[in-house]
Amino acid sequence: MQYMKIRYGETFSIPRRLGNLFREVVRIKGVEYIKGKGFIVRDYYALSNLNKILARLGLILTPEVRCFICGKYVDCEKCEFRNNCKRDVTICICDDCLNNKNILNIYLAKQNKFLGLKLSSSQK
Amino acid sequence: MVEMVWTEKHRPRSLNEIIGNEEAKLELVRWLRNWEEGKSDFPGILLVGPPGIGKTTAVHALANDFSYHVVELNASEYRTAEKIYEKLGSLGRSYTLERYFTGRERRIIVFFDEIDGIDPKEDRGGLDAVIEIAGKRDFPVVAAANVPDPQKHKKLFELFKVVEFRQLTPKHIIILLKRIVEREGLKIDYEIIKKIAERARGDARLAINMLQAASLGIPVESISQSLENLPLDELLRRLSSSLSYYEIKQLIDANSSLWEDLIYTYFDIIARSPVLKFDAKIQLLDALSKIDIYLGRMNKERQFFYLRYLSHLIAWLIYNANKSGAVYDGRIPEYRLYKFVFNRDAREEFTELSEALGRSIHESRRKFTLYTLPTFCKLVKRKYSKLCEWVKKVYGW
Repeated sequence: MQYMKIRYGETFSIPRRLGNLFREVVRIKGVEYIKGKGFIVRDYYALSNLNKILARLGLILTPEVRCFICGKYVDCEKCEFRNNCKRDVTICICDDCLNNKNILNIYLAKQNKFLGLKLSSSQK
Repeated sequence: MVEMVWTEKHRPRSLNEIIGNEEAKLELVRWLRNWEEGKSDFPGILLVGPPGIGKTTAVHALANDFSYHVVELNASEYRTAEKIYEKLGSLGRSYTLERYFTGRERRIIVFFDEIDGIDPKEDRGGLDAVIEIAGKRDFPVVAAANVPDPQKHKKLFELFKVVEFRQLTPKHIIILLKRIVEREGLKIDYEIIKKIAERARGDARLAINMLQAASLGIPVESISQSLENLPLDELLRRLSSSLSYYEIKQLIDANSSLWEDLIYTYFDIIARSPVLKFDAKIQLLDALSKIDIYLGRMNKERQFFYLRYLSHLIAWLIYNANKSGAVYDGRIPEYRLYKFVFNRDAREEFTELSEALGRSIHESRRKFTLYTLPTFCKLVKRKYSKLCEWVKKVYGW
């Protein structure tokens, strides 16, 4: 199985001849084809449906992953957990951040900001 | 003193505390905010994803963060329109009384868990009721599903905002486990935490259970993996090799979608067993026939709360069959052959294929699977010399 990285909302071309599968692919909600440019995947729900079709051609599209804490790109190929991960997420944690002793508090603080929740006084 | 299960003890109370699925949680928060302001295009939200990754927890945490009370309706009990309206009607009355006496209005989120268990055809308007309730926009409606069928639940997919919860990455699980280790004041080697994160395969619930077992000194290698959604063959092997009623019951409960297959297979195992005595066979088959009747009635009446009794009856039957010496030898009963492909994907592919082939010869899938396909297989097996002529004669191809 060949893995190929893509970015949501950006065009890419599939390195396989789709043949009859092309019609199936463009029917997926959230997948578009622009002539001369290639395919665009709009959301991650569409990607899993697209992968079900492309798996028949031995290809799996994986979204480019960013670290939730520092925002750096995470290279799944170098990750020690690559064989035990489905690799279908766009957010992960890079090794540097994971090895930080205070990772838990950093993660929670980052998440608080990300979700933009204003906690009530009883929850603080 | 019996210690509380860690999955409950450490269940997050706020969305901020849930680890993983950050984008899905953000979608959930955005949707509720828009819903409150009347800006949302979607009357409800559908959370999709495998078990054990925090869908239900996220709904309860969301309600807690936004000061809502969750009214949870599980599809195993509330499947028909009548039952859903009955439950919500009684709640409405009790909230009116509460408002009258306390002067406070309680805000509620209606949460339909395991909504993929509702069959649009057989459950007499259950799904339509969910859509209608959401459409009225009296309160936010959240639904959760493990494996919804885009065809069967088409309306739900069209009207609800779909948010997918994904399996956690091993790194997210490491953070989750580190938090529990810290809270419990444990001294567990980081290598063990890494091993658990690898073995849990994205299932947070399983990872926490494994950590709790590891804290008791049980080696990670010996902690069994998830009991849920086992392939039938694996389930049968585990059931057959177990002499603990508790273990059998756990396996039965975690794989309720395979009960019908279990009944067929155990009929075969008991009937053919060379070890079982005649009296034991009669006793076991008698019990099995009763289970079969109860299961059939339950499915027909859609009264799924009887599942709790049936799981005990099936576990009792398997426990006694094992004790008497019945063994699953991997043999596939011929009449259930098509059901015995070992994973759901393959089964779905087979259904799709038989539907397409059946359609091409103007037959229903059932008729094709039960009559045409076995006949065709027999012909091929007997090396029918003029197969093409025969097909032409029968089907006019």
